[in-house]
Amino acid sequence: MREAQTDSDQGGAWQPRSPLERVSRLGIMLVLSLIAVIAIYPIVFMGLSSFRTSFEYIASPLGWPDSFGYIDNFLAVYLRFDLVGLFRNTFWYILLASLLTLAVAVPASFTLAKIHFPGRERLRAAMIATLIMPPVTFLVPSYVMMARLGLIDTSAPLVLLWAATATPATIFLLSALMRSIPDEVLEAARIDGAGYFEVLFRIALPLSVPGLVTVMIFNITAWWNDLLLPLVLIGDQDKTTLTVAVASIGSRFSMDFPLVLTGLFLASMPPVLAYIVLQRFIRRGLVAGAIK
Amino acid sequence: MQPTAPSTPVPAQPGAGRPAARRGIRSLRRREALTAYLTLLPAFLLVAAVIWYPVTRTAYQSFTEWNGAVSTWVGWENYQRIVSNGDLWLLMRNNLIFVASVPGILLISLVVTVLLYEQVPGWKFFRSVYYLPTILSAAVVGTLMRIMFNANGVTNNALERLGLGALQHDWLGQVPTAFLVLIFAFYWTTLGQGVLIFLAGLAAIPSDLLDAARLDGAGWWNRLFKIIIPLLVPAIAYFVLTNVIWIFVGLFALVFTVTKGGPGYATTPFDLMIYRKAFESGELGYASALSVILFCIVLAIAAFQLRMFDRLTTDA
Repeated sequence: MREAQTDSDQGGAWQPRSPLERVSRLGIMLVLSLIAVIAIYPIVFMGLSSFRTSFEYIASPLGWPDSFGYIDNFLAVYLRFDLVGLFRNTFWYILLASLLTLAVAVPASFTLAKIHFPGRERLRAAMIATLIMPPVTFLVPSYVMMARLGLIDTSAPLVLLWAATATPATIFLLSALMRSIPDEVLEAARIDGAGYFEVLFRIALPLSVPGLVTVMIFNITAWWNDLLLPLVLIGDQDKTTLTVAVASIGSRFSMDFPLVLTGLFLASMPPVLAYIVLQRFIRRGLVAGAIK
Repeated sequence: MQPTAPSTPVPAQPGAGRPAARRGIRSLRRREALTAYLTLLPAFLLVAAVIWYPVTRTAYQSFTEWNGAVSTWVGWENYQRIVSNGDLWLLMRNNLIFVASVPGILLISLVVTVLLYEQVPGWKFFRSVYYLPTILSAAVVGTLMRIMFNANGVTNNALERLGLGALQHDWLGQVPTAFLVLIFAFYWTTLGQGVLIFLAGLAAIPSDLLDAARLDGAGWWNRLFKIIIPLLVPAIAYFVLTNVIWIFVGLFALVFTVTKGGPGYATTPFDLMIYRKAFESGELGYASALSVILFCIVLAIAAFQLRMFDRLTTDA
C-alpha cells in the first residue's frame, strides 16, 4: 500500500492515483476555488458595477449590468475627476521622489558597503535605526516646518518626505547587495586609476541593477498606495494624488455607488497591469525579506 | 590593499614598516575617509532634516499645548490626560484587536499554502489570483469594503437572497461588526502575501524529508504540524512581526476609508488617532504625546524582532 502511494507521488501528474487520493485532490481544488472566488469577487463587483446605472444598482447591488454598452460612469470619472490630471500629478511626485531617493541612496550605499572609514558602523546603525520610525510620529512638526518655509502649496514637502522615508530601507537593501560584490573587482579598477564615481557607476551600479529594480518597485508601490502623507501635505484638490482622490470620492459622491466604484476600478488598473508585467521582480523582492 | 585596522597610530602593521610608506597610506586613507563622508552627506542631510529633527520636535512638543503657532509648556499634562481620559486603553484595545486577528490569517495562509503545495491542476493560477487583492491600495480596498458592507450594500443583499435576512446588519454602524469588516479587509489583502512567503519557505524544505515522513505513515495534519510548520518558523516569524508592526504604523489608510475610526473613536487605531487629534481637532501637543507613546511601542516591537531573528538565525 505505502509503496504504491509513493510510486504515484514520484510519478507526477499523469500517474494513476488511488481513488482516495483522487477524491482528496478534488476536495483541495474545491477549497482553493472557493477561496479564489472570495479573493476575486470584490474586484469583479467593482468592474461589473462600473457598467450599471445608479438606479440599477440601488434596485439590486448584486446584479449583472443590463448592458455593457453603458459607459457614462467612465465618462463621468474622466470628466469630473480629471483622472488624467490626477494620474499626471501622482506620476510626477513619484518620479521626483525616485530621482531624489536614488541620488542620495546610491552613493551612500556604495560607501557604507565598500569604503573603509572611521565611524562606518555607527553611521550604518543610525541609518538602519531610522527604518523603524513611523511617518505619523514626525509628520506634525514636518508639516509645521514646511508651512513656515512657505512650501506647503508646492510639491516639495511630499517629495522630500517620500524620499526621506524611503532612503533608509533603500540604503539597507542596496548596501547589503553591494557588499557581495567581490573586492578584487573594485580594486582592479581602482589600480587602473578609476576614481570613486567611476568605480561606482561603471562597476558597482551595473552589477546591482536587479536589486535596484526590486527596491524601486517597492518604493513606488508604497508611494502609489500612500494616503497619509499626500493627504496632509497637499491641500489643493487639483494637485493631489490618485490615492487621495480615491479616498475622498467615497465621501464626496457617497450616494452614487456605481460612479465611485468606477473610480476605484480605474484607479486599480495601473497597479494590476504593472503587477502582471513585473510579477517576477515583485515576487523575488517580497520573498527576499522573508528568507534572510 | 586589504581592509585593515583604522588609520590611528595603533598597532604597527607587520610589513608596513617604513615611515614614508606609512605616511602615504595614511594620506590615502584620509582621502578615502573624506570621500566617504562627502558621499554620505546628502543622504544623512535629507534624513536628518526631514526625520530626525522633526522627531526631536515631536518629543519636545509632547510637553506643550500647541496649535501650530503658539506653544506653552505644560509638563506631563498631555501624558496624564492620555492615561486618565481613557484614550490610551481605547487605542491599545483597538490595536490589540487587530493583533489578536493575526493568528487567524496566519493559519489560513499556512493551510492554503500547504494545499497549493499539493500542486493540483491550476495551482499557479490560484496563486496569482490570491495575490490580486494584495496589489490594490488600502484606500481602494477600504472604500470598496465600505460600499460592500453599507446597510444597502452587497453583503446585506446577498444575505437576503439566501434567505438569511435575519443576519442583516448595519455592519459599519456598530462596534463589533465594524471590527469584523476591518479584519475581513485585512485578511483579504494579506492572504496573498502570506501564501507567497510560505510557498518560498516550503520550496526550501528538502522534499525527501516530506517523502520520508509519508513513508513512515505520517498523515496530512501530522506532516503540517510536525514538519512543515516547525521548518517554516523563520518565515512565520517574519510574517507575524511585519504584520504586527504594520498594525501599529500602517492601519491608517484602511481604517480611514472604511470607518473613519467611527462610530465615535471606537475603531480608531493609534496612527489614525494622531491624525485626527492633529488635523481634525488641532490638538498638536496631545497628538505629539500620542506619537511619542506610539514610537516607544514600535521601538519595543522592533527590539523584540531583532532579538528573535538573532536567536532564529543562530539556532538554525
